[in-house]
Amino acid sequence: MSSGTEMNAESSKWLDAHYDPVANLYTFSSCIDLADLNGDGENRLVIGDLGTGSSNMKLKVYRGTALMNESTLLDLPTGLVSFLMDLHEPRIPAIAVASGPFIYVYKNLRPYFKFTLPSLEINALEQDVWQQAREGQIDPLALKELLEGIRDTADVPLSVRSLRYLGLETQDMEEFVSLHKQQPIRRQTVITCIGTLKKSSADEDGVSCLVIGTESNDVYILDPEAFTILSKLSLPSAPTMMDVTGQFDVEFRITVACRNGNIYILRRESSKPKYCIELSSHPVGLVRVGKNVVVGCAEERLYGFTQKGKKLWTAQLPAPITTMATMDLPTRGFQAVLVGLANCEVHLYRDKNLVSTIKSPDVVTGLRFGRYGREDGALVMTTKGGGLAVKILKRTAAFDERDAAPGPPPAQSVRLNVPKKTKLYVDQTLREREHATAMHRAFQMDLSRVRLAAAQAYVRALEASLTPMSANPAAPLKLNAVVQGLGPAFKLTLNVQNTAASRPILNLTVSFLYDGGLYSMRTPYFRIPLLVPGLVYPFETLVECTSDKGISDVIKVFVLHDGKTAPLLTAHINMPVSEGLALE
Amino acid sequence: MGLFDKLAGWLGLKKKEVNVLCLGLDNSGKTTIINKLKPSNAQTQDIVPTIGFNIEKFKTSSLSFTVFDMSGQGRYRNLWEHYYKEGQAIIFVIDSADKLRMVVAKEELDTLLNHPDVKHRRVPILFFANKMDVREALSSVKVSQLLCLENIKDKPWHICASDALRGEGLPEGVDWLQGRVVNSIVLKSKSIVSLH
Repeated sequence: MSSGTEMNAESSKWLDAHYDPVANLYTFSSCIDLADLNGDGENRLVIGDLGTGSSNMKLKVYRGTALMNESTLLDLPTGLVSFLMDLHEPRIPAIAVASGPFIYVYKNLRPYFKFTLPSLEINALEQDVWQQAREGQIDPLALKELLEGIRDTADVPLSVRSLRYLGLETQDMEEFVSLHKQQPIRRQTVITCIGTLKKSSADEDGVSCLVIGTESNDVYILDPEAFTILSKLSLPSAPTMMDVTGQFDVEFRITVACRNGNIYILRRESSKPKYCIELSSHPVGLVRVGKNVVVGCAEERLYGFTQKGKKLWTAQLPAPITTMATMDLPTRGFQAVLVGLANCEVHLYRDKNLVSTIKSPDVVTGLRFGRYGREDGALVMTTKGGGLAVKILKRTAAFDERDAAPGPPPAQSVRLNVPKKTKLYVDQTLREREHATAMHRAFQMDLSRVRLAAAQAYVRALEASLTPMSANPAAPLKLNAVVQGLGPAFKLTLNVQNTAASRPILNLTVSFLYDGGLYSMRTPYFRIPLLVPGLVYPFETLVECTSDKGISDVIKVFVLHDGKTAPLLTAHINMPVSEGLALE
Repeated sequence: MGLFDKLAGWLGLKKKEVNVLCLGLDNSGKTTIINKLKPSNAQTQDIVPTIGFNIEKFKTSSLSFTVFDMSGQGRYRNLWEHYYKEGQAIIFVIDSADKLRMVVAKEELDTLLNHPDVKHRRVPILFFANKMDVREALSSVKVSQLLCLENIKDKPWHICASDALRGEGLPEGVDWLQGRVVNSIVLKSKSIVSLH
């Protein structure tokens, strides 16, 4: 099977029940539904097939893996829903297929009823012009000119017949007029989306009304039995996608994505939208999860909104959205959104968290999750290449609550093992809290004393020229001393440097102070030649340890200036123990 | 057990009791098969979806079977594993006409075979490729291919095409199962004897 761990994780959730890459289906999520058409507890898959896009439109019914029934549709289907239209036993749902201005209702897979949208208001001028043409008062060219005038100025748009007439070549006009002039002109709109709304009971098998959105910016709610218009709601733009919830007689909410890129929420009380969500780009998918609305946008993002239009979250997607569907498993209390992507994947989002990824061999264009056959957790997918795939959610599948996308490492949320507060700690804290002022004062006093002591020591050192750095501005000097050898003979090297910028220093001498009983020195006093600024002058002298007791002492080095009693510099050399003597 | 029962057992009059689990997806025909195996005067006319499980008994020439007829519905399938320990044989029923859910049947079978209570025991498994009367039903060979039965190496198994509504194929399957169970009892008693 698959080798990747990710694929293994997915194969532990979904079973591949059926895949037919050449099912010859051209359809979208809005034209797919699952319904128990025979009342035998086994759901069928009903698909409105768009055929080639201009011909061969079909209503297809699948049972299990096989095509069970096929009937020709007259026009392109824009939506397909199954709904219970009456209370007759057995409870067999009807299928409503929306195409053009009509809804074709099928019962037992046989045509049952055809609903036509009410025609729209006709331009009086247009009617007048056609009247004249019928009576032969104007010739086809004049008719064309008049219609063009009406098209450009009138508030009410022209009928389809006039618009077609305007597009004709001159030689075809005569024939067109004579063919159509006897019929009255009509202006009709088309259905863009269709949904269902429970009439009065929220039960699974309650009777449902049809809800249709039209190109003329209206939403109609139809009576399930008589197919009369129960309610008409208007929108600022043409609806493209719709989600309906609630019951017509009690309270309902219709969430509509419109062609102007906004989402409107209609409610029972008013015929105008109650809330409006303005999106930054066009919506391409709209589904409801619980009480929230999830919208997929053209900018490869998924948004979550409350039912009042407040934005809850945003999720970035790796590819453009092709389709969306809800995944509702009431037996497990699981609700999520399925998002078909252009990179041949189907992502499953629970809120903003990606909980599962399904890889498909082709781009998925139609998705439907629900009960198929006798299996509750079936996912039907149709692909761009005309394929049909059915996946079944495993009984044992579990979805991680956690986001699968990379985020902060889990170690970040691990609590540190901080030891408990001891009694001592608590007592100290209490004491600090009570005596804060006194403690601060004591601290400040001690700090001042330390500073004073440090300053005094520094001044003393400066006065006695005890430092190896000369602070005298007339003779800035630096001295360091190195002792070499193991003993009893040592070599003492003094490195003297004039640190002045340009002035040389003259008339310096070096003198050593030491315990004559311990050490003897060949030259305890010598003169230093002129010191050029910047250069390091090494002066060597030999020291011999005369004691055999294995003890050592300090030799003090003084750099003196002629005519001054105080030394310029002082260095203390800690002599090492003479090891050579100790060995003997 | 009374003295008479013991006596009957020694004389071979009393039939050996065997616990059998009847498993399979919902609507595959488990209850119908068990119903057909019962004596004709004990059979019921209408079969309804089983809730939880039923215990049924029937006798063959040499054995007395106690069948745990488990419900196949998704929400009750997690009950199955609690009875694996007691089962001395398993009957697995498959709806041969439900091609879509053949993967689900395979998944449940694999879960069964990998369960610790079943994995290391030589439990005989009898498969009924049921609903042979339905026109689009798959053959028993095809079913055994789809379920990858050839991969079961450590257990005796047998697949039988059946039509539980008319009772076709059921005696053949039960005969096989009886043979297997009797065989294993004989083997066990032999090994006990050899231990002594």
